[in-house]
Amino acid sequence: LPAGGVSLRLCSTRVALEGINKPVIDRIIRVDHAGEYGANRIYAGQMAVLGRSSVGPIIQQMWNQEKDHLKKFNELMVAYRVRPTVLLPFWNVAGFVLGAGSALLGKKGAMACTVAVEESISDHYNSQIRTLMEEDPEKYKELLQVIKQFRDDEREHHDIGLEHDAEAAPAYSVLKKAVQLGCKAAIFLSERI
Amino acid sequence: VRCQLSPPQRPLQASAVLRRVSDEQKKEPLASSSQQQFDSHPTDHQPEQEPQSPRPSYTGQGGQESEDYESEEQLQHRILTAALEFVPEHGWTAEAIAEGAKTLGLSVAAAGMFHSDGSELILHFVSQCNTKLSELLEQEQKLVQLGEAEKKPTDQFLRDAVEARLRMLIPYIEKWPQALSILLLPRNIPSSLNLLTSMIDDIWHYAGDQSTDFNWYTRRAVLTGIYNTTELVMMQDSSPDFEDTWRFLENRVADAMNIGDTANQVQSTGEAVVQGLMGAAVTVSNAETSRA
Repeated sequence: LPAGGVSLRLCSTRVALEGINKPVIDRIIRVDHAGEYGANRIYAGQMAVLGRSSVGPIIQQMWNQEKDHLKKFNELMVAYRVRPTVLLPFWNVAGFVLGAGSALLGKKGAMACTVAVEESISDHYNSQIRTLMEEDPEKYKELLQVIKQFRDDEREHHDIGLEHDAEAAPAYSVLKKAVQLGCKAAIFLSERI
Repeated sequence: VRCQLSPPQRPLQASAVLRRVSDEQKKEPLASSSQQQFDSHPTDHQPEQEPQSPRPSYTGQGGQESEDYESEEQLQHRILTAALEFVPEHGWTAEAIAEGAKTLGLSVAAAGMFHSDGSELILHFVSQCNTKLSELLEQEQKLVQLGEAEKKPTDQFLRDAVEARLRMLIPYIEKWPQALSILLLPRNIPSSLNLLTSMIDDIWHYAGDQSTDFNWYTRRAVLTGIYNTTELVMMQDSSPDFEDTWRFLENRVADAMNIGDTANQVQSTGEAVVQGLMGAAVTVSNAETSRA
């Protein structure tokens, strides 16, 4: 009878969890899940204000993609037995408020918020890709594929935002910096708690 | 996926708990005493072992750091496992560990490797019980997947899992209150909390929990509460085969199931109230505008 107990929780019938760097993967999946959850709420907030405007369909389309992303991370979270961040209820509200708030500044404000957030997220995904490549590209092939695909999607959202005059938004650079600072803080916290 | 880790890994990971707890013991006396054992009793160790783990070589000469590291851990686990037999008589103490060491043909001084209050012995026991529970749940899951068993409803699953885990305490029940108080020592809390949370997480995992929102936390918190309170009830239960305890457990689990329903009811009521207020507000504002 094996004497070890704590290590046994690595076992799962879904994904072979033996041999993976659990702490690293835990963080990655937890923070990505939180990020997609937050992005969902941001777009929900934007739709609440601008849903019936001309940019409504565009925002809805980006929102749908984020919903797919969230669904994928929900699956990965269960498969790798990762705990969600305890701050989820907070991101629920904060995301919606950010989305609605930026949308109240107008369509360009909403687009500026989108540009800022999507830029943060793609940088963040890029550094995760680097981390996983440094660890073991073969072992984490599926995860790498997912993150690369999502990074491309977020980049696309970023470009869509720019196309829709994000830079013409009121106080664009201030807004962008503030939102990106918030994203950095959110990422830092969600990785840990 | 079988839950067996490869032997060299197992002791290393498994004794992470031991490492943390007995870190102060990892000094000169430890190395020299275990070395002496190996030199004087090289043959004793070989035959006794269950065939599962390859024996590390004791021909110490070119022995690297890693080999000694493994055999220390394995040795400690073997001593502690052997010591469990003496717990009902001696309690969770150095005496029990010394007796355990004696059955393995080691000197009683081997008990000096461990802390005098029996912390490592208790943590080792808890860790072993959790492992047994996980294996049990894994096997049950396999049977369900193969169609040889019915999938249990959640409340029954939780009841059975907690009961199975608590029944492992029965042989040691007299001395268990002592163990609980030792597990609550500040020094031991990180390890004991870690063991508790991973056990609860395991139970929910096999119960089929797939929540990825705040429910993840609520469910585990609730089950932890149920487990801890049932454990305490068991300590002072004198009914035949602890039937009072299992009845208490059944009631707590039923309460927990109701919490979910109640939470939903509260939410629906809240939403209805909000809608009512909105309707009232709209009516009032319409009345105002029509008057104006």
